Amino acid sequence: MEHVLEVRNLVHRYGDHTALAGVDLTVKSGECVALLGPNGAGKTTLVRNVIGLIEGKADLIEVAGGNPRRAETRRRLGVVQQAVGFPRSLTVGEIVGGAAVRRGCPPEAASRAIAEMGLTGLEKRRAAKLSGGQQQRLQLAMGLVADPVLLVLDEPTEGLDVEARRRFWNTIRRRLDNGAGVLITTHLVDEAAAVADRVVVVDRGRVVAEGTPDELRRTLPDRRIEVRTKVPVSVIRALDSVHSVEVRDGRTVIAATDSEQVVSTLLDLDPEANDLTVATASLEEVLVALTHHEEVAA
Amino acid sequence: MNTRIFRTEVRDELLGIVREPTALFFSVLVPVAFFALFATMFSGDGGFGVESLATYGAFGVLSVVLINPGISLADARERGWLRVKRADGTPLGVTLSAKVTAALPYAIVTLAGITLVARLTAGPLDVFQVLRVIGVLVLGALPFSLFSVAVGARFSLNAAISVLNALLIPSVILSGLWFPLEMLPMWLGEIAGYLPPYHLAQLALAQVEGGAVWGHVAYLVGTTIVGAIAAALAYRSAEV
Repeated sequence: MEHVLEVRNLVHRYGDHTALAGVDLTVKSGECVALLGPNGAGKTTLVRNVIGLIEGKADLIEVAGGNPRRAETRRRLGVVQQAVGFPRSLTVGEIVGGAAVRRGCPPEAASRAIAEMGLTGLEKRRAAKLSGGQQQRLQLAMGLVADPVLLVLDEPTEGLDVEARRRFWNTIRRRLDNGAGVLITTHLVDEAAAVADRVVVVDRGRVVAEGTPDELRRTLPDRRIEVRTKVPVSVIRALDSVHSVEVRDGRTVIAATDSEQVVSTLLDLDPEANDLTVATASLEEVLVALTHHEEVAA
Repeated sequence: MNTRIFRTEVRDELLGIVREPTALFFSVLVPVAFFALFATMFSGDGGFGVESLATYGAFGVLSVVLINPGISLADARERGWLRVKRADGTPLGVTLSAKVTAALPYAIVTLAGITLVARLTAGPLDVFQVLRVIGVLVLGALPFSLFSVAVGARFSLNAAISVLNALLIPSVILSGLWFPLEMLPMWLGEIAGYLPPYHLAQLALAQVEGGAVWGHVAYLVGTTIVGAIAAALAYRSAEV
C-alpha cells in the first residue's frame, strides 16, 4: 500500500517551547491510524502541520504526494476540526456547496456528501442552528465532497449520539475500503482500539509507542487480578511480582506481572477464594503507563 | 477555478450581510441619518449639495469599508471558520479580495442614500458630478478595506470592533469629513494632510470644484500598497 501521509523528523517550536521534537508518522492507503496522548502532547500541532495550517521544520512532510502548504494538496484532504462554529447566515447546502467549489467539484458532489452524512432534507437550514452532532456530520460532509485520499479527523465523534456514531464509522469504513487513509485523534480510547489499524502514542512532542492496539496492550506486563479472598492485603503485597493491591467493594484488586504465580499462591493460602478474574491491561491503562500522566486524553 | 471560488466567497459574504441586517445599522443607516440631520439643519446655507456628498460620502464609505471586512474576518477567525477555509485550500488572495469586494455594494447603497437626501434638501444635482464623486469614493475605498482586514486578522472580534471604531471616528473628524477643518483648532487641522480619509474626500471634492488631483491619488495609491502589505502579513500570521 502506498503512503498517503509521510512525516519525517518534524520539529515545531513556539518560541522557546518545543511542541514537536522530531516526529515520524505514516498513514497508508486504506489504513486507519489513531493518534493518542495526553493534553499538551503535541497532537494538535502535528495535525495542524499535516493539514497545512502551520509549518514546522521537517526532513519530509508529504500528504497525498504533495506539500500540505500548497492549496491544491489541501484540496485532496478531508478534514474535521475541533471547535468550528459555522457562519450564522449560511445554510447546509450553501456550506457544502461552497466546499465543493473550493475543491473544484461539481454541485452533485455536494448533494452526494450531504446524503452520505444523513443531512438530506436539511439543505436549507442554517448550519448554526443544527445540533452539535449534525454540525459534526456537516463538517465531515464538507470533507467528503472531493473523495479525499486522506481524512484527518480531530475528535470527530464528539457530541454524536450512538446512532450518529454508528453511521459515522460506517462512512469511514466505506472510505477506508475505497482506499482512503484516515488519521484520527480521539479522547475515546476504546473507540480508537476498535477502529484503528495502528495506534501512535505521542507524549511531550515525541512518539513514545506505536503498533496495533493488541501490540500496545502486550507492552504492559501488568495483569489485573480481582478476587474475593480472606488473605490480608499485607500478605499479598509481599508476594513476588505484585505491584499494587487495593480493596474495592469487597474485592481485592491486584496488579501483578506474573498473574499465574500470584493466583496459585492465593488459592494455596485461601482455598475458598472466589469470584476470581484475570484481565489484561486496557489500552487506556497502557496509555497511562506510557505517558506517566494521570489524565488520559487524546 | 479561483474565479468560481471568488464568486462563492463574495456570495457568502453578501449573504452574511443580507441575512444579518442588524450589522448594517451603524455602517449604512448612521451615515445617511447624520447627513440628513445636518442637511436639514443647515441646508438653508446651500451647503449640502454635491460638495457635501463628497465629504459626507467619504464618511459613509469609510463607515462601511473600514468596519465590515475586519469585523467579518475577526468573527470568522473566532468561530474557527477561517481555519476551515484554510484547510480547504482557499487561496489567501481570494479570501481577502472577497472581503473587500463584498463591502463595496454596501458603500454604494450608503452613497445612494446620501445622494437621495442631498437631492431632497439641495434640489437638482449635476448627475455627472454625482457619478464622478461616487466613482472616486468607491474606488478610493480600497486601502481602507485592506487596513480593516489587517485589523480583523490580528484582533479578537470585540477588540477589532473597538480598534476599527477608534480608527474611524477620530480620522473622519480630523480629516474634516464631519465639520469643516476651519472649525477645528489650527494644530488639529494641520494633521488632516497626513490622513488618508482627507485625501479621499479632497479627491472626491475635486470632481466638483476642480483642483489638483494627482497628489491625492499618489497618497491613496501609497496607502493602498501599505494596506495590502499589512493585510497580507497580518492574514498570513493570523492565529486560526
